[in-house]
Amino acid sequence: MQIHSIDQAFSHVVLAAGGLDAPHIPGLGGMTAYLTNSIVMAVLVTVAILLFTRIATRKMTMVPDGKQNFVEFVIEMLYGQVEGIVGEKVAPKVFPLLATLFVFILCANWSGLIPGVGTVGFGEKIGFLTLDPEDHNFVPLFRPPTADFNMTLALAAVFMGMWTWITIKELGVFGFIKHVFAPKGGLSGGLWWGLLPIFIFVGFIEIISIMFRPVTLSFRLLGNVYAGETLLHSMSNIGEQMGLTGVWAFVSSVLVPLPFYFMEILVGLIQAIVFTLLCAVYVQLSTEHDEEGHDEGGESAH
Amino acid sequence: MEILETFGFSLEKFAAQVIIVGIVFFILYKSAYGPVLAMLEQRRRRIADGEANLEKIREQMEQAESNVQEKIDKANAEADRMIAEAKDSAESVREQKTQAAIVEAGKIIAKANEAAKLEHEQLMAELKGEFGRLVIDTTEKVTGKVLDNKDQERINQETAGQVAL
Repeated sequence: MQIHSIDQAFSHVVLAAGGLDAPHIPGLGGMTAYLTNSIVMAVLVTVAILLFTRIATRKMTMVPDGKQNFVEFVIEMLYGQVEGIVGEKVAPKVFPLLATLFVFILCANWSGLIPGVGTVGFGEKIGFLTLDPEDHNFVPLFRPPTADFNMTLALAAVFMGMWTWITIKELGVFGFIKHVFAPKGGLSGGLWWGLLPIFIFVGFIEIISIMFRPVTLSFRLLGNVYAGETLLHSMSNIGEQMGLTGVWAFVSSVLVPLPFYFMEILVGLIQAIVFTLLCAVYVQLSTEHDEEGHDEGGESAH
Repeated sequence: MEILETFGFSLEKFAAQVIIVGIVFFILYKSAYGPVLAMLEQRRRRIADGEANLEKIREQMEQAESNVQEKIDKANAEADRMIAEAKDSAESVREQKTQAAIVEAGKIIAKANEAAKLEHEQLMAELKGEFGRLVIDTTEKVTGKVLDNKDQERINQETAGQVAL
C-alpha cells in the first residue's frame, strides 16, 4: 500500500505486537500451550534480574566491587525514597515489594527497547527476513511484559493485596473502617455527630477510589508502555508507508525511531517511578492516619 | 468483564503474571534485599563504630596533649626552681670562698710581715756586728794598737748604741 502524505501515514498506525491482546506463541502445545509472548518476555526479564542479582551479591564484601556497588546504590536509594514517604516504621515492611515493583517494571519497560522485541515473530513473509507489518496474524515472539494488561493488572493486584495486608495489620479491621468513615480532624461532641453523615458519604467515595486504584495503576502503565511500543513501530514503518523502498526504507526505519527510543528510555523510567511512588503514597495515606488516630486517642485519654 | 477482555484480560494469563511477579519478589527478597540491607546495616554500624572510636581517640589525644603540657609546665617550673637554687648556692659558695681567701691572704701577709721583721732584725744584728768590727778595725789602724777583748766589747756596745735604728 502506497501512502503519499504525512496525514495518510499517521492514519495507518501500526499497533505494537499486533494489538492489545497478548497472543499465544504459535506452534506450542501441551504444558507450554498457554504461553503468551509477554509471559515469555516476563520470564526472560525475571531470569535476567535473577542472574544479575546473584552475580552481584554472591560474594559480598565490605568494600564493594562494581556490580555489588550498583545493586547497593539502587537498593539504598529506593529504601531512602520509600522511607521518606511511608516513614521509618512501615518502610521495612513495604520496601521489598515496592522495590520489586520498581525494578521489575523498569526492566520490563526497557525490555521493549531491545532490538527484536515486538518485531521478531511469526507472520506472513514479504521479503528476506521481513514480515508484513500490517498482517493482523503477526505474532511477535517477545512483547514487553508491561505492554500486556494482564501483567500491569497483576502488578497492581499484588500491590493492592500487600496494601490491604499492611493496612489491616497497622489499623485492624475496625480501625480501617473508622479510618475510612469516621470524622477526622479531632472533632468531638455535636460537631462529630453532625458531620458523621458527610464523612460516611466521603468514606464511600474513598472506598470507590480505593477500588479504582488497581485500575488506574494498571491502565496508566499499560497505556504509556503500549503507546510507546506503538509509536516505535509506527516510526519504524513510516518510511515504507510513505513510499520509500529498499535502502531508503531501511535507513528511515533506523533513523526515524531513534529519537523516540531515547524518549522511551525516559518514559520507561518515569512510569516505573510513578507506579512505585503512587503505591508508596497509598501506603503512607493509610499509615499516617493510623499514627494520627493513635495521637488523638492518646490526647483524648489524657 | 467485557471491558477487561477488550484489553486482553484472561484469568489464566493474569494468574501466570501474578506468579511471575511473586517469583521476582521472592528472588529479589532472598538474593538482593536481605543481603544488601544487612551489608548496608553492617557498614553503617562499622562507620558509626569508627566514628565513635575516632572521637574516643581524639579525646585521648587531647587528654594526652594536656598531660604532656602539664608535665612540660611542671618540668619548666622545677627547672626554674633548680636554677634559682643553684644560683643561690653558687652565691653562698662564692662568698664562703671569698671569705676563706681573705682569711688566707691575711695569714699569708702576717707570715710575710713576721718573716720580713725577723729578717730585718737579723740583718740589723749582722749590720751592727759588721759595723762594730769596722769601727774596731778602724780604731786599731788609727791608734796603732791592738785592742783587747774588753775594748772590743766596749766599742761594739757603744757602736751598737750609736747605730740604733
